[in-house]
Amino acid sequence: MTEKIGETGALCPECLKTIKAEKIVEDDDVYIVKTCPDHGTWKVKIWSGAEQYKYLYEFAAVPKTPEKYAIPQMKVCPEDCGLCDKHLQHSCLNVVEVTNRCNLNCPICFATANGCGYDFHPDIETIKGMFQTVVDYVKSPRCVQISGGEPTIRDDLPEIVKLAKEMGIEHIEVNTNAVRIANDMEYLKALKEAGVDDFYFQFDGTDDEIYMQTRGKPMFEIKERAIKNCSEVGIGITLVVTVSPEINLNHVGEIIKFAASKVPTVKGVHFQPIAHFGRYPQEPTDENRVLLPQLASEIEKQTKGMLKADNFIPTSCSNVHCDLKSLSIVLPDGSLFPLTTMALGPPTKTDNVADKTRTEVSQLWKYIEDTMDGEDASRDTDDNSWKTFVSRAKTHYLTVSAMAFQDVWTGETERWERCCIHVVTLDGKLIPFCLFNTTAKDGTTMYRRKTFCR
Amino acid sequence: MEYIIADAVVEVIEKRGIKVDDVKAVIEGAGDDKITNGSRFIAKKEIGDVTVYADYTVDGDKCTINAGYCHKMKVLDIVLVGDDTEWTYVKNGAVVKAGHTNLTYLGATRSGPSLVEPTSGASWFEEYLAAGALTTAEGLFQQKRA
Repeated sequence: MTEKIGETGALCPECLKTIKAEKIVEDDDVYIVKTCPDHGTWKVKIWSGAEQYKYLYEFAAVPKTPEKYAIPQMKVCPEDCGLCDKHLQHSCLNVVEVTNRCNLNCPICFATANGCGYDFHPDIETIKGMFQTVVDYVKSPRCVQISGGEPTIRDDLPEIVKLAKEMGIEHIEVNTNAVRIANDMEYLKALKEAGVDDFYFQFDGTDDEIYMQTRGKPMFEIKERAIKNCSEVGIGITLVVTVSPEINLNHVGEIIKFAASKVPTVKGVHFQPIAHFGRYPQEPTDENRVLLPQLASEIEKQTKGMLKADNFIPTSCSNVHCDLKSLSIVLPDGSLFPLTTMALGPPTKTDNVADKTRTEVSQLWKYIEDTMDGEDASRDTDDNSWKTFVSRAKTHYLTVSAMAFQDVWTGETERWERCCIHVVTLDGKLIPFCLFNTTAKDGTTMYRRKTFCR
Repeated sequence: MEYIIADAVVEVIEKRGIKVDDVKAVIEGAGDDKITNGSRFIAKKEIGDVTVYADYTVDGDKCTINAGYCHKMKVLDIVLVGDDTEWTYVKNGAVVKAGHTNLTYLGATRSGPSLVEPTSGASWFEEYLAAGALTTAEGLFQQKRA
């Protein structure tokens, strides 16, 4: 039996034309069904568990619209994006790409770095312009992810980070494959001194067989060395895992266990189920995707229930079907003590969740500090005391989160218009991350190439 | 008995989610089940799921409430007995010692520094711990349970 549960906009995978789509439920799975008059019909599974899919709408935050729009009157979403006056959510994170060159040549790459047919390696003045776009369009607190390509191939990255801080960008994370971080301590120290707050750290598993498939070379030892270096310098890390059903879905539990063993340097694990950008002569099937409910179930299974699927809740900042998050305290034996749960129900205060999400972990610290204010620590010397437990919570926590990026097959207006992760363009626009990277089946880009190939 | 209680103390008691009347009930129901250092007393009473403490001073028929606080954790056994303190258990006249006592909450058991009287097995927790680590841990566990 088929139940129609909504209408939305979508893209034709062949011609990138905006087309209408329906969301339907069949056998408890949610599908997008869309038809292009010229190229046919597609039916793509986007969620498993129809009741949960519907219930999650109750977690939607009251959106906080952008301060300013580059596109004052939208004609067709998502064809004239920038952001436009119909965009519902402001920026939580702005991605500034500072090169498309890379010191790896991965089979999987959002940015199609290296070999994409053009070179993008802007000078400092151009980068300053992109930071200015963030300052002009985004209200404080401003968070920027410096990305690429591989940003650390730039010797002037410390200078770029310093510039961003001077211009009023409060939080800087650097998206990196960690190769240079593992090998160049002086450079790492310079980044720390310039103001890098944390690394968004490509990490696909604890087994080199995985890296051979995802990155084309063994890299686990490099990742471990880079984590050790970050620990010495004092920069936090989020491990970012591209999850593929064929490659590393069966390793997510091991990855969480590894991350827990590296707190407090490792602050979180962020799973990104593989999205299909680039050239796809063969269309990906539903079996080639990892849906968020499937990922959460795998985590529960592989962690033997230590982190349950119910411990994952939407951030309520992006669209509620875009992401999941959990927050746990890591206990001395390496086990997790989860603090988030679906059983809590939708947030009672759904306004301004974007700001709340950005500061959630610091709120945990503040809560602990406020309630522990003035406590006499000298009386408590027992390692198994409540005081030790609480003190540990302040530093030994782990966020485990996931974001389902949209590609040309899964993308829909309902999610694009609530996106809060925006890529900064050279002409002063902000484009939702997934749209920016969306490509047609033949590899034609929707926004990336026309933005950076000039 | 006439109670004297500063506005600031009332404010802190209410912020902790208990009522001044609860604290008075602890004082009035204590009998000999309290500890004293000569001028000050600490007494406790379980009210519902919460153990409420009163820290007070008595002068004639006047009772000054110095503090009221609480914890939701259940007090278990004494796990460490240390040096003598200035406190005496009124019920049996024994000197109260510094120690550690286990507390349990929502399935987890850990210890906290306490005032203990080993012969009776009684323990008392001071304000700094109850309003600090214990409250924070309770908050974290409630978040987990919710």
